[in-house]
Amino acid sequence: MTQLIVLSALVALALLGWFAGRGKARLFEKDKISTWSRPEYHAAHLALWIAIPALIGWFVWSAIAPGLVDAALMALPIAQQLPASDFERASLLAEAHALASNPDAGSFYPLAQKLAEPIRELRARYDLIGGAIVAILAFAGGAWGFSRLRADFPARTQVERAVMLLLLLASLVAILTTFGIVASLVYETGLFFHKVSPVDFLTGTHWSPGTAVGDDIGDNFGAIPLFWGTLYIGAVIAMIVAIPLGLMSAIYLTQYATPRARRWIKPMLEILAGVPTVVYGYFAALTVAPFIRDLAASLGRDNPSTESALAAGLVMGVMIIPFVSSMADDSIAAVPKAMGDGSLAMGATKSETIKRVLIPAALPGIVAGVMLAVSRAIGETMIVVMAAGAAANLTLDPLDSMTTVTFQIVQLLTGDQEFDSPKTLSAFALGLILFIVTLVLNIVALRVVKRFREAYD
Amino acid sequence: MTDTAILERMEKRLAKRHAAERRFRLMGLAAIVLSLGFLALLLVIMLKNGLGGIDWNFLTSSDSTEPANAGVWGALKGSLWTMLVTLLLSFPLGVLAAVYLEEFAPRNRWIEIVEVSINNLAAVPSIIFGLLGLAVFINTMNLPRSSPLVGGLTLALMTMPVIVIAARNAIKAVPPSIRDAALAIGASPVQTVFQHVVPLALPGIMTGTIIGMARALGETAPLLMIGMRAFVATPPDGITAPSSVLPMQIFLWSDEIDTGFVQNTSAAIIVLLVFLLVMNGVAIYLRNKFEVNW
Repeated sequence: MTQLIVLSALVALALLGWFAGRGKARLFEKDKISTWSRPEYHAAHLALWIAIPALIGWFVWSAIAPGLVDAALMALPIAQQLPASDFERASLLAEAHALASNPDAGSFYPLAQKLAEPIRELRARYDLIGGAIVAILAFAGGAWGFSRLRADFPARTQVERAVMLLLLLASLVAILTTFGIVASLVYETGLFFHKVSPVDFLTGTHWSPGTAVGDDIGDNFGAIPLFWGTLYIGAVIAMIVAIPLGLMSAIYLTQYATPRARRWIKPMLEILAGVPTVVYGYFAALTVAPFIRDLAASLGRDNPSTESALAAGLVMGVMIIPFVSSMADDSIAAVPKAMGDGSLAMGATKSETIKRVLIPAALPGIVAGVMLAVSRAIGETMIVVMAAGAAANLTLDPLDSMTTVTFQIVQLLTGDQEFDSPKTLSAFALGLILFIVTLVLNIVALRVVKRFREAYD
Repeated sequence: MTDTAILERMEKRLAKRHAAERRFRLMGLAAIVLSLGFLALLLVIMLKNGLGGIDWNFLTSSDSTEPANAGVWGALKGSLWTMLVTLLLSFPLGVLAAVYLEEFAPRNRWIEIVEVSINNLAAVPSIIFGLLGLAVFINTMNLPRSSPLVGGLTLALMTMPVIVIAARNAIKAVPPSIRDAALAIGASPVQTVFQHVVPLALPGIMTGTIIGMARALGETAPLLMIGMRAFVATPPDGITAPSSVLPMQIFLWSDEIDTGFVQNTSAAIIVLLVFLLVMNGVAIYLRNKFEVNW
């Protein structure tokens, strides 16, 4: 609430500064003094001087104010009653803070009720101080900006410098995100490996984090069955579906289809990639999985499970078709026309040309496309959550239920949980491995594509 | 061997090769028919199961334990709030980053790292963004769990690389003569870019943004991580209220044992697909209408 008031007040002040700046700069033009910048730049320069120092001040104040409130609270006589143990003290203070923000919040400690009122008063006092600091900074910045507003002042250069800074900051967000992902995954994984040895995790074959208690918890965190399930569903079953269908679709579209048909069919194939994965997951669970179970039953399997690796893999394969087909499409189109024409001129049929000349020439691109498709498939979550099952089986039978890395991450992190148990931490370790594998697949695939393009350019 | 025998063998061989040609062609056609047939089957089954469930009541009420009373409005509103946060963050950041990388960035190691990380972020599995959201926004920054704010922040990080890549391509497509003309009559580089290049690239940027937003709208996995799977019976009235989103509602209903929810799930899927179809339609329309071939 306080944030909103301060921010809107600042916006209003900055707008005011903008109009004031433009008004004064227009006077120069009226007096026929030649100016360095247009009035709008003088206006923007002034508005920036009002807003930016004040905003920085407000952020700094928001960061230190809670600490000041706590320090002031400790100085009050009532703080003498706080319990000595650190843990109790922290939870009591947290409760008192929650009560201060929201009087209806439930409370466990009676002392928290008593502390809520002083906290509210202290907060109001420090908010006021913060507001005053922001106001002073805004006016000081404004005065400085206004004093520099003269006809020969290069306002545009200054404003453009600020714009460049903004652009630079925006492009740094991507690095920050990457850094955030790596840091949070590595940090939590480090905590996990304090409790469970990486060797147990990476080489164990027994996965049941739900039952992990006591000293030998490492035995319950063997992730091999998950890696196996992930690869079997994403890199084997899904690819058996996606590679032939995607590749043949691409060949038909580039070599046989009329341009008119191609214009219609290609976007329709792309729809397959645009359908949300939760829809595929529901389709797999509702239609494909029961069908496969009935098929298994009719093949003489007793008691086949509804959740099969085959159902999840099949649907995932269909989802992946457009990825394979568009990469194959691009790589076949990138093969120089002279190669295909040469083969046709020697009397080869079209299909012979495709099989013996075009595909071998386009192979690096197609392989890269398959790698991207695999990285997509192993990171896919909703289809396996809804169709693959939770049992960590280490088996070759596609009709059996299998689990994957993504499924387990979801399983471990949803529902009630404490945040530092090995169970929840293991999800981050699985996430880190998933991140590394997809990253490597992508980097290698992009390298291959790049080299392949260079070879024909 | 006589000439006729050789001729006969040649003809046989040719017939065989032509048969192989036809078979190959048919296989290609079959692959396309099979892929599109699967899509058609999916749509038909969803329409058959769900079309009966879509009525005014379904569109205006929220989640309920009773399948007949349950509706999508609460989840839809949650989706709208989440998309609002995502758009407000990812669009400006994405466009500004693209402008910098395409027009101003010096060619050096740092910029190369930025480019590599943007390209990689576009390929990182969505669930990893969910882990990031959980670790950073919820556990470190203590933002409210299950809220459109956290959901929107997480999806914005995921959507931004998509927008950056689309915007860069759109900016790259604006011919240098436009820039030269603006610079020649005295515009500064910043003026040239913001008053001439970006407006001309805007249709392409918009198309990429809509496609990225459509992807974010259909996303479920990262939102599962940050706890947007709560049972929400009242539509959220702000970005910090606990809420659900449309794909999450589909997921939650698909888990229900009551068979009445099968119709609800399929109906919600139809609603979601209609939204996605409209968004993609708008994107294609924008591209066809405003795309300039220089």
